[in-house]
Amino acid sequence: MTQVRFRDVTFAYASDRRQSTGAAALADVDLGIEPGELVLVAGPSGCGKSTLLRCVNGLVPHSTGGRFRGEVLVGGKSTREHPPRDLAGTVGFVGQDPEAHFVVDNVEADIAFVLENLGTEPVRMRRRVEEVLDALDVTHLRDLSPARLSGGEQQRCALAAAFASGPAVLVLDEPTSQLDPQGAEDVLGALGRLNEVFGTTVVLSEHRLDRASPLADAVLLLEAGRVVSSGPPARVLPEYEGAPAVTRLGRMLGWDPPPLTVKAALRFARGEGDRVPALPKPPAEPPPPGPPVLHARGVGVRLGGGREVVQRVDLDLHEGEIVALLGRNGSGKTTLLRGLAGLVEPSAGRVETQRRVLYVPQNPNTLLSAHTVRAELEATLRLLGRSDPPAVEAWLAALDLDAIADRHPRTLSVGQRQRVAVAAVAVGATAAGPAAILLLDEPTRGMDAPSRRALVRAVRDHAAAGGTVVCATHDVELAANMAHRVVVLGQGEVVADGPAESTLAGSLFAPQVLRVLPPFLTPEQVETSLGARS
Amino acid sequence: MPSPPHALTLLVWALAAAATAQIAPNPVYAAVIVACAALLVRRRGARDAPGGTFRTLLALTAVFVGIRVLIAVLTVHGTGDAALSLPDIGLPGFLGGYTIGGTVEWPVVRQAVAEGVVVVAVVAVFAAFNTAASHYELIQVAPRAFHEPGLVLVVALAFVPSTIGAFREVRLADRARTGGTRVRRGRTLRHLVPVLETGMEKAMALAESMDSRGFGHGRAGGADTVAAWTSLVSLLALASALVALVGRAHSVAAALVACSVTLVIVAVVCVSRSHRRQRHRPTPVTRLDVALMGTAVAVPVSLALLGGMAGLDMRWHTAAQTWPRFDPVVAAVILGLAIPALVPAPTREPGAAT
Repeated sequence: MTQVRFRDVTFAYASDRRQSTGAAALADVDLGIEPGELVLVAGPSGCGKSTLLRCVNGLVPHSTGGRFRGEVLVGGKSTREHPPRDLAGTVGFVGQDPEAHFVVDNVEADIAFVLENLGTEPVRMRRRVEEVLDALDVTHLRDLSPARLSGGEQQRCALAAAFASGPAVLVLDEPTSQLDPQGAEDVLGALGRLNEVFGTTVVLSEHRLDRASPLADAVLLLEAGRVVSSGPPARVLPEYEGAPAVTRLGRMLGWDPPPLTVKAALRFARGEGDRVPALPKPPAEPPPPGPPVLHARGVGVRLGGGREVVQRVDLDLHEGEIVALLGRNGSGKTTLLRGLAGLVEPSAGRVETQRRVLYVPQNPNTLLSAHTVRAELEATLRLLGRSDPPAVEAWLAALDLDAIADRHPRTLSVGQRQRVAVAAVAVGATAAGPAAILLLDEPTRGMDAPSRRALVRAVRDHAAAGGTVVCATHDVELAANMAHRVVVLGQGEVVADGPAESTLAGSLFAPQVLRVLPPFLTPEQVETSLGARS
Repeated sequence: MPSPPHALTLLVWALAAAATAQIAPNPVYAAVIVACAALLVRRRGARDAPGGTFRTLLALTAVFVGIRVLIAVLTVHGTGDAALSLPDIGLPGFLGGYTIGGTVEWPVVRQAVAEGVVVVAVVAVFAAFNTAASHYELIQVAPRAFHEPGLVLVVALAFVPSTIGAFREVRLADRARTGGTRVRRGRTLRHLVPVLETGMEKAMALAESMDSRGFGHGRAGGADTVAAWTSLVSLLALASALVALVGRAHSVAAALVACSVTLVIVAVVCVSRSHRRQRHRPTPVTRLDVALMGTAVAVPVSLALLGGMAGLDMRWHTAAQTWPRFDPVVAAVILGLAIPALVPAPTREPGAAT
């Protein structure tokens, strides 16, 4: 029997109907997911991925309201007749922000929460909690408060809490979007185990497909609420512009079937023999930087009177330079950016600059207060005492926000909000005088491939106009694509600082293409070289 | 940080400390109570957010108390002993006919301050409880009928520190937007909208999580219906008792109150017995917890005895121009509230599921 069945499902949020956008969040979705399958849902920002996932346990429409047509059956139960609480034993659900999902301030008690609600017998409950702690490898965290855990640990604990009732289906909405590479590996590893070892059906959405796609049995590609393609990853992903870097590389070089993993790509690369070395090499060094615009010397930042989160950081930023700031969750990236922007007082050292420093926070929700996207950009200029409609339109266009310029920012997806936040701050950088230093804190969280490309383009334009950009990110592919220079933080200290290629080459988490065809960092560089050769 | 005493112990401590503040409404003793609460947060406040939710709540309360004192001195007149005189405005009759301004009188200032510090002490005590106690631990020992409403309350309480944290982030983002320039115009709205909207989104996410994890699972049974009707009759009995009190029928009122209490107990027992909810390893109340509860309760009881039997006056008599009185015996008794912060924490192994 099919585990999850969507029968001609169409859904529109009440807010969409009120705003007369006319677009349904889901349209004519008809699909089946077999028991034990791991299905990856992909597609551009705002295409309906989260809505589709929320349909599986009935959060849509029971929690959201709106107009729902069709039927979703889970294990033969219709979500129309069974609200989410009645499906808690059948479907486990984990959202994008694990911290917002913890009900109890203790990991073990939070895992037991669903079992208590379902009235599980005490002896079974005790055994089940122990087994789940072991299965997700979180036993050592059982007595801690979720607030004290790293992002990866929080996500694994949220997964444990969802898995505790022994659901037949697990649904996860972008579970790795906020995690560093190691945290993401841990979560996806745990998820793979639950699928492989316990036969749990898994439905997850992701933008970063490089890690998730090798696990998937099938991929569902959504666009504007419709399933435009579905099937095995090797068939569906090569046609998708957000495919992993090695898949895009394989498609470019005519590898068939295009690889999904570095391992598979290496097999092809070995077979390329004489072809790949013939490619002209990309420039080994970035263009020489302009004059220095910011000096940080011996900077330390202590938060809340506690330990130093950033220690002894020496950093020079130059005109026209794009710097990627890498490091695991909690390594001090955000605090360093805030220190450079003058938003927190350094406890040691000094930061000197003659330029304006603008900081785009990690969480776009802290910034968005206007009623439309356009008004959000205008608000920044108003705060700076200026009115500059051409600058507003230019930034809307640069980040592909024209189509949603009149929508309320809070009705947008996470990735779209990120772009709005970047535009809302960056529009202030177009003031008269020398171009500002732009600090971006995890700007690509939840962003799809076209949005990331738009961001990279906008960042390059700003740098080309004499600005400077520092981008804190977990995304090494983004760093490889955009940065002239990479700075790696560990425990608040700079542990590596140098040109992107050489710094990333020495990393365990090097970009995929670099691992397959060194010294190329990105498929785009290979494409350029191929073009130059031909 | 050592683990705090059981949440039930801390609740009893908080109630005892609040009672102490009421029995000894004197700024000096209130300061001792606040110090005990601060010590508890420092030693056991495992959930005090970075930056200090406790301190933020105290600061907010101090601001409100300041406003209250200001309103009192500007609107209460006629006690004599004027400190200074301000221009006055008379409000029209439909607004109460108050005079705002005029003479500022010392007894009014002292009385408003005396009442304000008691409020600060009580808030400090419950803020300390909020940072040190595990609310879920408290729910685990409560009658099962209170589990779901208790959990809703706990979740609501958890929003206090997260909202304070969100406010800080929003303020920082607002400065970041302008390259560090502070723009005061329209700032309240710019800060308030993201905080409220983010709070609502978080509340929605949490509600979805609770719903997805079976909260409120199962349909109401016969016992729930009985409990609902019993509770309704209990409320009617209580309302009737109030009417009887107004009519000075004291014995009827007492009988109605007794009836109301009995019906509430019946409702709680009915719901608790019918509830399918099981509990995973509730933390046991140890002997040390019982001893700590006893010590905490002993503080207001001792003060009441000292006041009643020994005739010790713990109030600040604000009508006369005197400083608040300080009695070392009373202060020593109040310091008993610091004991939960000072004793070594017990080793606590959760029990079996129940």
